[in-house]
Amino acid sequence: MRKEIATFKINGRAYEAIITPNITLAELLREKLDLTGTKCACGVGECGSCTILVDGKPALSCSTLAIAVRNRDILTIEGLARGTELHPIQQAFIDNGAIQCGFCSSGMIMMAKALLAENPQPTREEVKEGLGGNLCRCTGYVKIIDAVMAAAETMRKGGK
Amino acid sequence: MKEELSVVGKRLPRWAAGEKATGTAKYTVDIKLPGMLVGKVLRSPYPHARIKKIDKSKAEKLPGVEAVITWDDVPHKLFNPNKLDLINYHPEGELKDMYVISNKARFVGDAIAAVAAVDEATAEEALYLIKADYEILPAVFDPLEAMKPGAPIVHDFAKNNISLHMKFPVAWGNVEQGFKDADVVVEETFRTAKNHICQLEPCSCVASFDASGRLTVWSPSQHPFLHRRKMAELFDMPEGMVRWITPHVGGAFGKYGSFCAEPICVALAKKTGKPVKIEYSREEDFFATERRQRYVVTGKIGVKKDGTITALEENFIVDGGAYFTHNNTTTGVHMGSFVGLYRCPNVAAEGDCVYTNEPPTGGVRGYGNHEGTCILEQLVDLAAHKIRMDPVDLRLKNVKHAGDPSSTGLPMETCSFEECIRIGMERIGWKEKRARHKKNGNKRYGIGMAIMMDVSGANPFNLQRRNVYLKFNEDGSVNLIVGSGEIGQNLMGTLAQIAAETLGVTYDDIHIVTGDTDSTMFDHGHHASGGCYQIGNAVVMAAKEAKKQLLERAAKKLEVSSDGLEIKNRQIYVKTDPQKGVSVGEITKDAIYNFQGEHLNISAKGSFSPTENPPPFAVVFTEVEVDIETGVVRVLKVLYVNDSGKVINPTTLEGQLEGAIVQSIGYVLTEDYIVNNKTGALESNNYNTYKIPSALDIPDVEVLLYEEQPVPSGPFGAKGGAQGAMVAVTPAIANAIYDAIGVCITDMPATPEKILAALKHK
Repeated sequence: MRKEIATFKINGRAYEAIITPNITLAELLREKLDLTGTKCACGVGECGSCTILVDGKPALSCSTLAIAVRNRDILTIEGLARGTELHPIQQAFIDNGAIQCGFCSSGMIMMAKALLAENPQPTREEVKEGLGGNLCRCTGYVKIIDAVMAAAETMRKGGK
Repeated sequence: MKEELSVVGKRLPRWAAGEKATGTAKYTVDIKLPGMLVGKVLRSPYPHARIKKIDKSKAEKLPGVEAVITWDDVPHKLFNPNKLDLINYHPEGELKDMYVISNKARFVGDAIAAVAAVDEATAEEALYLIKADYEILPAVFDPLEAMKPGAPIVHDFAKNNISLHMKFPVAWGNVEQGFKDADVVVEETFRTAKNHICQLEPCSCVASFDASGRLTVWSPSQHPFLHRRKMAELFDMPEGMVRWITPHVGGAFGKYGSFCAEPICVALAKKTGKPVKIEYSREEDFFATERRQRYVVTGKIGVKKDGTITALEENFIVDGGAYFTHNNTTTGVHMGSFVGLYRCPNVAAEGDCVYTNEPPTGGVRGYGNHEGTCILEQLVDLAAHKIRMDPVDLRLKNVKHAGDPSSTGLPMETCSFEECIRIGMERIGWKEKRARHKKNGNKRYGIGMAIMMDVSGANPFNLQRRNVYLKFNEDGSVNLIVGSGEIGQNLMGTLAQIAAETLGVTYDDIHIVTGDTDSTMFDHGHHASGGCYQIGNAVVMAAKEAKKQLLERAAKKLEVSSDGLEIKNRQIYVKTDPQKGVSVGEITKDAIYNFQGEHLNISAKGSFSPTENPPPFAVVFTEVEVDIETGVVRVLKVLYVNDSGKVINPTTLEGQLEGAIVQSIGYVLTEDYIVNNKTGALESNNYNTYKIPSALDIPDVEVLLYEEQPVPSGPFGAKGGAQGAMVAVTPAIANAIYDAIGVCITDMPATPEKILAALKHK
């Protein structure tokens, strides 16, 4: 298969990688760039674990071809904290017990980021709606919704 | 006076929460070693077939392929992937019927060959190049059909496909007489669901041999030490030549009580001499890893008009799938739960474990108790209806009390059914809601409830051995060294809270070391909700001993008696003169950097084997709405009243219970494991065809933690809680549906089709 050197902008940093046209963004992140914070649980876009942001919009990296997002602004879980200062959503997930096994957490947190960018003051129902495509088998979602509501409040009060 | 606690009982962040929130926590799927190969498994497309010949020459010649293995390349040694035979007091019950790779396929997806190649694409191409010549055999999928004479035989030794006949060994009373004594006898046949675990991290493994022939396995095991021994025996190695590492685990729920990809991964690593990684696709995870047994049970209950239960009996068939795995143990637990929940003078339970050509089953959250209690609790509601008694009153009449035997047969130190039932009834408004008008257009409202008791470990049926090691660093911080790794339940945080409280240091002072058989002591593993209670007790023992060493050293320095010292918030002080003291860090630093020769790395071991087994209790109330036009059931509310004794971390326990509540909603309503009855192929093989609940499917969930009866034998009064948390939710939802539409759901899951059919035949 044809190979090419492609450039990517991930978490504000430029990356170069040799890719084939059939490689997914999830494979690029996890296998070529060792950004394993993004998880894959189903491989077919059904569970939301691999959610990342492309130009601020949520995308399923397991169902996105890497070649299609060259030079776009990609944000993964690794790019959310500023140094050791956690993003308010990450902090809220920790404080509210929204993490158990943690395998859905990266996708869940990235989806919450997109959700709160769109709707900074969501109701619980709107949070459920926004996270409806992200599966979790451990928490029963209650504390995840708590966390997103708490993060929304922190962010409205000026947390970044 | 109540002991004042500063760490235990607090809502502290879970262990490793920061790593998980930032994506830096490493799971088995994230592991990458230099020169690592990708392993892939060739699986039978037929539910039952003998492999006559297998030609791997083309695959072997493909550039990048390093090994192709078949039946000829693996040990011809039968094993059971379930670890329990190593700790069961009656190991003969755990049948060995599996090979690493078989020469006979027994379900669609059974492994018949495997390859290791430089990358995934090459490995997949190699699978296509393996030519297997199958002799297709007739297959059987229904356990009742499988038991008929002349049915296809799945394993030659098992006549009529019955792998094991099981009878409750200590049945008491005389059920015949018990049913004669009853005013009403209710009998019903139930089919429980073939529920899949659906943990999010796909089943995976990495295996690597070093130059000395020593094997390291990275895998999400719940029992690293038992799995290490099992792997060593399988490949004829001493245990010490195997190191088992458990990275972070992306959900377990019983699945990793068995091997998944490990034996094939090790066989490939051995053959190639290179590290090999196997990561299942989600489809493979669905059909090639263990899920719940289906129980087909005829249950019978006898009650007097006043509600007294006079007899309980069940006859069951365990629809166990193609291999035996956990059939014996889950069914033992199933029987104990069915006969042991209530005070009942006459009980009996008996049945057969049966092979079919469906994917194998195993141990799943609730482990037999879920199915046993579900059937019993539905029977109780049927009986209450027959004698026109409030099902809550019927339960109150028959529940057990402190001193009675639990479902394990051991006497209970505490029992709070009465209290929890009354708290829940009041909170939900049971009397009013039960009497409420049911009808609203096409909708029918219903409210139901159920109770359960679970376990804090598997005493007295399995060997239960817990060892922890605890050592002080020079700054006064502590390494707590725990054998079996964290599987997502925050056991490590819970143990850290117990250690910090016992030692008088802070939660942040405890640094956990876990998940590596080389650097930790033997622990039999995570099952049966035993972690908090059993390992927690070992932590208390180790911490008390280390604290003693610390105080003795401090006493010398302060020139007082160590009895007169106490520690709080890292400070050692004289009880009668709290101003006088020394910090923990000063003592621990002096203990290590001591130039007078009196050096000592303050440390201690805690070894615990239980004599008790305090059951956690739960009383669950649910409200539902059934649409009689569409058959769709919506769960409106779940109220969970839980008694796990003293709660070490309320956020952690609530999270476990909330998660289980939602798993139960999936079990009852949508999770349908569908095997095609002609081809044997699993049709529900991903999240789009096997529907687990999303955030949109959750009701109003309320959890109440009843803590008034700390259990004397537990660490700070704590006992188990997480494993059994689905057990009462499932029947409570079923009973609410029964209340709503007057139909008892006897075939799980209660899909709209089944609800409509049931309404039609009402």
